[in-house]
Amino acid sequence: MQDKIVEVNFGPQHPSTHGVLRVKVKLDGEVIVDAQPIIGYLHRNAEKLSEMGYYPKAQIYVDRLDYAAALNMELGFVLSAEKLMDVQVPDRALWIRMMMVELNRIASHFIWLGTHGLDMGMLSPFFYCFREREKVFRILDEITGSRLLYNYFAIGGVYSDVTPKSLEMIKTWLSDFDKNLTEIENIFKKSYVYVARTKGTGKLGLDDTISYGVTGPMLRAAGKKWDLRKNKPYLHYDQINFDVPSQQAGDVYARMLVRIEEMHQSARIVAQVLDKLPAGDFYNKKYSKPMLVRIKATGESYIPTESPKGEFGIYLVGDGSAIPYRFRIRSPSFANLSAAPAMLIGYKIADMTATLSSMDPVFGEVDR
Amino acid sequence: MIPVESEASSKDGVKIIYVAKENILQFLKEKKDEGFDYLLMITGIDYKDHLEVVYHLLSSKSGERLVVKAKTDGEIDSVTSLWKGANWHERETWDLLGIKFNGHPNLKRILLAEGWVGHPLRKDYPMEKKQYVNLKEDGYDSVSFEKKEGY
Repeated sequence: MQDKIVEVNFGPQHPSTHGVLRVKVKLDGEVIVDAQPIIGYLHRNAEKLSEMGYYPKAQIYVDRLDYAAALNMELGFVLSAEKLMDVQVPDRALWIRMMMVELNRIASHFIWLGTHGLDMGMLSPFFYCFREREKVFRILDEITGSRLLYNYFAIGGVYSDVTPKSLEMIKTWLSDFDKNLTEIENIFKKSYVYVARTKGTGKLGLDDTISYGVTGPMLRAAGKKWDLRKNKPYLHYDQINFDVPSQQAGDVYARMLVRIEEMHQSARIVAQVLDKLPAGDFYNKKYSKPMLVRIKATGESYIPTESPKGEFGIYLVGDGSAIPYRFRIRSPSFANLSAAPAMLIGYKIADMTATLSSMDPVFGEVDR
Repeated sequence: MIPVESEASSKDGVKIIYVAKENILQFLKEKKDEGFDYLLMITGIDYKDHLEVVYHLLSSKSGERLVVKAKTDGEIDSVTSLWKGANWHERETWDLLGIKFNGHPNLKRILLAEGWVGHPLRKDYPMEKKQYVNLKEDGYDSVSFEKKEGY
């Protein structure tokens, strides 16, 4: 029988593509010989929309980039905008922000862990992960007033102070968080099928990782200890003790280990913030909301932050008016996804769901 | 050494270097050899009378950052030979800003549908003119100014 290359369309409406990713795969038997991700199905040009209104108005579009970790997206924007406008932020607001983004990072990693398990044919971790994620959302709901898209950080601080009740909720949640997470972790680690399917799958070497501009947990899983919270501290991360997990293998299993360890570390950060939270204002009283839309800015700024997916930042260019002249989003998922062909070619079609979900792409952010 | 046109600094203290567009590939190759191994993003800015291509570089050893800019009238050399990740970033810049990268292996639209008219991030892009992506009978997309069946 003659060898034949078969072309298969994977997505854009496939449950394991985590959104609207379409991959054109060429198969020789069941081995992938070519894979081309096709994106753009969720494109709404957030950059152009943000260039049409005043600086604070861009925040709702930023919120909707990585909707699984909206606060991390907001952080990248407010830091960059504050730098551009020379707005000072009170100390308490910085600590609150730090706590909030770590909580959101945990929520984001939980949704990843659950759906990743689902992709690998494990139903139960999905329910456990969403149970735990729900607890985080209850806390975020108590502080910000919403569950998924918060619009909570403002240029010059945060919109509302943390309540005593929310601090109690965090303390109760922290008391058994590590235990619950270890439970879920063990489901993965002790599943023979999971380990066999993920070890050695979707490998991306360190050279390729850097060449593709891949950041975040995928880079750390490939053997480089690189975390912007440690290497270029923003907020008050230099006053906090935490470790940067890293693995050498660069495969799907290593990425799972890195992300789970990151969640443990995030909980450690939250616990330390609770102890160190200073008293004071939670926003800069000099800048009321109507005033913020009148601030004019020149120059350019780009503050990189470590979002759950990798390096996120917004490159702002001002032209002296109150509207951003150029608003460029550096989205980690976009760069990470561009490395997909390198991770897929040569593996079997059955490994594809494992590899794609291990990248943790969120399409609000890829397509912008 | 490639001559530097001018230098500046951004508000977060990162050095900005302006290079002539003919030298951009050589200059970035030099910088890559100096240790700037990460290309974080390529983007463009439309200044109405000219376009600017912006490269954000990062050294993963020292953590140093660098912004390289080149003025262009719409064409520049591709850097896909230096960084694999440049591929998608250049496609996006072509798609949204209409900057052509010479020597790019596959310079097609990435976010918008093939056949789209204009480049949305240009300042003179007509915002009121709606374009519709329609489904053709053979399953591929086509773009037109009228709303058709199955858009």
